[in-house]
Amino acid sequence: MQRTCAGTARTRAALVVLSMLVVCTATAPRAADPAKYHSYQELTAALNSAVAAHKDIARIVSIGKSGQGRDLWAVEIANPAGTPVAERPALLVAANFEGDHVIGSELALSTIEYLLAGYAADPAIRQRIDTQAFYVIPRVNPDGAELMFAPVKTGRRTNATVFDADNDGRADEDAAEDLNKDGYVTVMRVKDPKGPYMIDPADPRLMKRADPAKGEQGGYSIYWEGTDKDNDGFIGEDGPGGVDLNRNFMHQYPYYQPDAGRYMVSEAETRAVLDYVLKHRNIAGILTYGESDNLVVAPSRRGDLGAAISVGLVEFANASIAGARRTGMIQDAAGGIGGRGMGMMIMGEYEGVGGGRGGAQAQTGRGGPARSAATTINAADIDYFTAVSEKYREMTGVRTALPVRTPAGAFFEYGYYQYGVPSFSTPGWGPQMRTATTTTTTAEAFDGNAETRGGPFVPQGRGGQAGGGQRPGGAAPGAGAGRGAMPAGGEAAPGPVYGDQRLLRWMDAEKIDGFVAWQPYKHPTLGDVEIGGFKPYDIVNPPAARIAELGTSHAKFALYLASLFPRVKIATTEVTSHGGGIFRIKADVVNTGYLPTSLAHGVVSRAVRPTMIQLGVDPADIIAGNEKTSFTAALAGSGGTQSYQWIVKGKPGATVTLKVVSQKGGTDTATLKLQ
Amino acid sequence: MTKTSFKWLVSAGLALAVTVCVAPSTNGQAGGGDRQGAGAQKPPQAKPAPQGQNVQKPWLPENQAPTSERMWKVHLDFNRWHDVAELIADMKTLEKAYPKFLKYQSIGRTYDGRDIPLMTINNPDTGAELSKAAMYIEANVHGNEIQGGEICLYTIWYLMENYGKIDRITKLVNERVFYLLPTVNPDGRDWFMHGPGGNARSSHFPVDDDNDGAVDEDWPADLNGDGVVSQMRKYVGMGNGNMRKTADDPRILEPAPFGKGDYIMVGSEGIDRDGDGRVGEDGPGSYDPNRNWAADWQPNYVQGGSMDYPFQLPEAKAINDFLVAHPNIAGVQSYHNNGGMILRGPGAESVGEYPRTDVVAYDELGRNAERMLPYYRYLVIWSGLYTVHGGFIDWTADGLGVVSFSNELWNNGQYYNSPELKEQQKDPNSPIAPGVANYWFNDNLEFGDQFIDWKEFEHPQFGKVEVGGWKKTYGRVPPRFMTEEMCHRNMAWTLYQADEMPKVQIGETKVERVGENVYKVWVDLTNPKVVPTILAKAAQNAVVPPDLLTVEGRDVQVIAASVVPSKFRPAVQQLIDQQDLKRLVFRNGLPGKTTRTIQYLVKGSGEIALTYTSVKGGKVEKGVTLK
Repeated sequence: MQRTCAGTARTRAALVVLSMLVVCTATAPRAADPAKYHSYQELTAALNSAVAAHKDIARIVSIGKSGQGRDLWAVEIANPAGTPVAERPALLVAANFEGDHVIGSELALSTIEYLLAGYAADPAIRQRIDTQAFYVIPRVNPDGAELMFAPVKTGRRTNATVFDADNDGRADEDAAEDLNKDGYVTVMRVKDPKGPYMIDPADPRLMKRADPAKGEQGGYSIYWEGTDKDNDGFIGEDGPGGVDLNRNFMHQYPYYQPDAGRYMVSEAETRAVLDYVLKHRNIAGILTYGESDNLVVAPSRRGDLGAAISVGLVEFANASIAGARRTGMIQDAAGGIGGRGMGMMIMGEYEGVGGGRGGAQAQTGRGGPARSAATTINAADIDYFTAVSEKYREMTGVRTALPVRTPAGAFFEYGYYQYGVPSFSTPGWGPQMRTATTTTTTAEAFDGNAETRGGPFVPQGRGGQAGGGQRPGGAAPGAGAGRGAMPAGGEAAPGPVYGDQRLLRWMDAEKIDGFVAWQPYKHPTLGDVEIGGFKPYDIVNPPAARIAELGTSHAKFALYLASLFPRVKIATTEVTSHGGGIFRIKADVVNTGYLPTSLAHGVVSRAVRPTMIQLGVDPADIIAGNEKTSFTAALAGSGGTQSYQWIVKGKPGATVTLKVVSQKGGTDTATLKLQ
Repeated sequence: MTKTSFKWLVSAGLALAVTVCVAPSTNGQAGGGDRQGAGAQKPPQAKPAPQGQNVQKPWLPENQAPTSERMWKVHLDFNRWHDVAELIADMKTLEKAYPKFLKYQSIGRTYDGRDIPLMTINNPDTGAELSKAAMYIEANVHGNEIQGGEICLYTIWYLMENYGKIDRITKLVNERVFYLLPTVNPDGRDWFMHGPGGNARSSHFPVDDDNDGAVDEDWPADLNGDGVVSQMRKYVGMGNGNMRKTADDPRILEPAPFGKGDYIMVGSEGIDRDGDGRVGEDGPGSYDPNRNWAADWQPNYVQGGSMDYPFQLPEAKAINDFLVAHPNIAGVQSYHNNGGMILRGPGAESVGEYPRTDVVAYDELGRNAERMLPYYRYLVIWSGLYTVHGGFIDWTADGLGVVSFSNELWNNGQYYNSPELKEQQKDPNSPIAPGVANYWFNDNLEFGDQFIDWKEFEHPQFGKVEVGGWKKTYGRVPPRFMTEEMCHRNMAWTLYQADEMPKVQIGETKVERVGENVYKVWVDLTNPKVVPTILAKAAQNAVVPPDLLTVEGRDVQVIAASVVPSKFRPAVQQLIDQQDLKRLVFRNGLPGKTTRTIQYLVKGSGEIALTYTSVKGGKVEKGVTLK
């Protein structure tokens, strides 16, 4: 299997080269050097080359512009012959919402190239492109991604929007800096008797929060590499940019958090993506590459996603600036003359809280009980997520992902909870995955050791959830222990989970130079400090050498996902004459796809249009039976059938058209003769 | 204040002058004597002239018309409803008459391509727009809720016509900026004004209501061509219906006991335009443009009509872009109809009540609103009206940190507006009893103009029906002859709110030498208005930039800064724990009706400049000498 992957990668490269030679004479940077991360200009060139070589089945469109004016590219792949593309089920692949997650762009680009190169020879690909569609938006955040190619690596996740992150009346005035001129913005550790951190005894390169319960003592503070340029007591709390685009969508939007933007969909990029998907309601499934996950670890039976795993060194530095937005809250109990500051109530007219009729007295809201939006996957949909997740691990070999973020405001969550389709996210790689040449990775070599099973990076289990039972035994290390559920439904929130050790082991094993060793530095205000830590982009991107292999496996996975979509058909029809111009029409409508025409939540959320069955007669000619226009909320997958019948008045010999339209499952028509 | 000083005040028209002249304790009002200023040109109570006698009026100056009435420069109608073109034309007429103060602009286009009209009122002599707190007043987000548009127009007109004539109006225009947007939903307004009626609440973004793939293809129809989409009722024979005509008035149907009914209601006037067997099921809109805002926005299945994402509607986006670009906006009013309410957020209980200090400010404003607006009650949206997610004033309050109200204009209690008539209405046999009161009012005060009598019509699907009912201008909007009062009272309340927007002042300063080149500097910071410079909720959400107090001076070093609990009773002063003491950040601003004293410990000598900057409360400076 692995050898096949590699073989295919080589074949693909060859095919791309071949098609470039035949169709366009422009140089094809992708083919010449597949093992690289593409700058915006290179990505644009690669997309254009790929599309130019397959003009008949692919086109490139700009769905909008980034804040800095870069086109946001979408590549649409479909053979336009036959059913109009807008009526076919489509898979949306979108990536690189987080500026530093450039691997996502590469996987998306690989998918485009894989599908286009394979169209001629691979019947599986051909079938999808002839009858379905693929929409690929490889880089939603080009302004952020471009920083990967800047001389100093910051690892910035946000776009380029000017934002006053600490709300102090000045925007972007205090960025972290590369003080020691090594080309990376990392972190500083400073000996500080009040500091809560200590050198991690398990690996002296790492830091951990001292646990007083275990008799541990801190002694270090950790800051972002930089100086306090705005003299507010915080280092690097308000750098250039912006908005984290995967925090800017509406599901569980983190209101008023600095990186989430001023409001939902405040950004040109996020609005462009939403307008695009809303214009393409035939999108029946969404695959995103990003820093959240529901593929490597499947949702729990309760519908929660796995817990976040973060990088401690990054979180510790972030903690040093957490108070920047609180400075200047004046808690004056007595606010001077006539004070209405906190705690003062000076005019007899106000009898305390909510004294007015406008106050919150025991009033009952009218208009029915309050509803609230779903936050866990509908129980009826979970099996689909579980099955796809299992297939993902099998096809890609990615066993664990790291780091993984909570998905508040992420696009893929919108895709399920509000757009109503199966929607997925994966970092697209992980420190434990199959390699191209062996079935057991170096990373897997330590799967079995105690550190992995019970070690610091494996969070609390999901209580009684026998997560391991759902999976092939031993296939997903750590899965048995569960990757603790998100805090929900009164469950105690698990503590933060850090993946530093595992990340470092992977880097060591793979000989990745991803960690800057601590170096002493004379800081202008802090004095003697040490600068070091993970190199920003190496935390979330695998080495470029892995792109080809991951690209192929993810392209195949995308093709697999597209094969699951619902397909509605008029299975059987029957016309019987009762004499006197009265006819009975019977029809069975079936869904031959694996997925239902709408997930349960697609129905609940009213996001997916019901499947429409319409008989082309004058409504006055229907004497009994179904209405001229009937709807069914969802046709089950894998052969779900609905029967209809009408008794109509008509001229013998006349023809009647029967039409079935499913938003996510295509359309079908039948012509019936009244006889 | 003398007449002379009044004239000086008006001609100079300076807000700063007002601040100097008037003690803060008068709550921003010009001194009581001012009112005489305008009145001084009016004669004292004229006694009626003895009949048949040609009386000389020696107190009248030569050639001056003996009028106590004002002469308007611009004449507008406030006894009828304006369509969008008429609103815009009137706004442009006013702009032409008062070019110094008024600026008309279109801030964007609606889905159908109409301009979204906005008027800015600003006196450039008293500072640039963004340097003064602004009151934003809008109306008509629901297309059928039209009358707020007239109030906006009236407000512009009244402020301009009375500037320089009424002191408090002059002062208000000098101190504040006004943004007036008479129709948020011009597409809906014109659909209401010119269309035959039907649902004009929405704007016109295309939505497929009936899931058939076609958009807005089956809208209501004016079948009988009388210009109104009214109701259809059908005579079905005795015993077959659930309604019957009332004994006294055949226009009115009442529920009938089983077996005694001969009528049924068929629904709104309409036909099956798209041939799907259903009547009028997909008209324009059908969403709610007042659920498309970004605070507590919820998807459509939780909050019906919210659309796919906040600010998806071009009207909402244009307005939000404007609001975000004008952080000086410190007050919002969004006019709706009806019911007679002065509403504030939150729209949903789940959002949680506002912090206490914010409630105090809202309550003071809201209670005074009730005093200005008989038949209106001050209520919280979720508890007093119904739950709203993603509403406009929740966005302006929570997302933009602006004190926001929404008036539900017109209460049909105003049809019979005396205690005696209310008492009469309790009698079920009274001609103005609740079930028939509307008909009596229409017959006697509108001369029957608002009701279309039932007429037979042959309907393509339903056979013989009767078409008739109330016109669209009855019920939710006041009778035309009562409109001007509605305009004035509601305007007065928004002007009061505008006056109570924050306004920072630097009061007393004191310098005391404590050592070699070291001084204690006390500075009083006052906000005499009801509204704080930054709402507590806005501070929590970090949606308003903080107030800043800066110290500038050559070679001056600030050793410490603290808040003085009381100037007159020594107590321990809490040090302000900030790194940069020359630029103090007040993240939760200056509360309403408060003077806060800050103490600096300063090393240096000479002049220092103290500057307090508040995005919503203005900017003030004062120099102090260290000696």
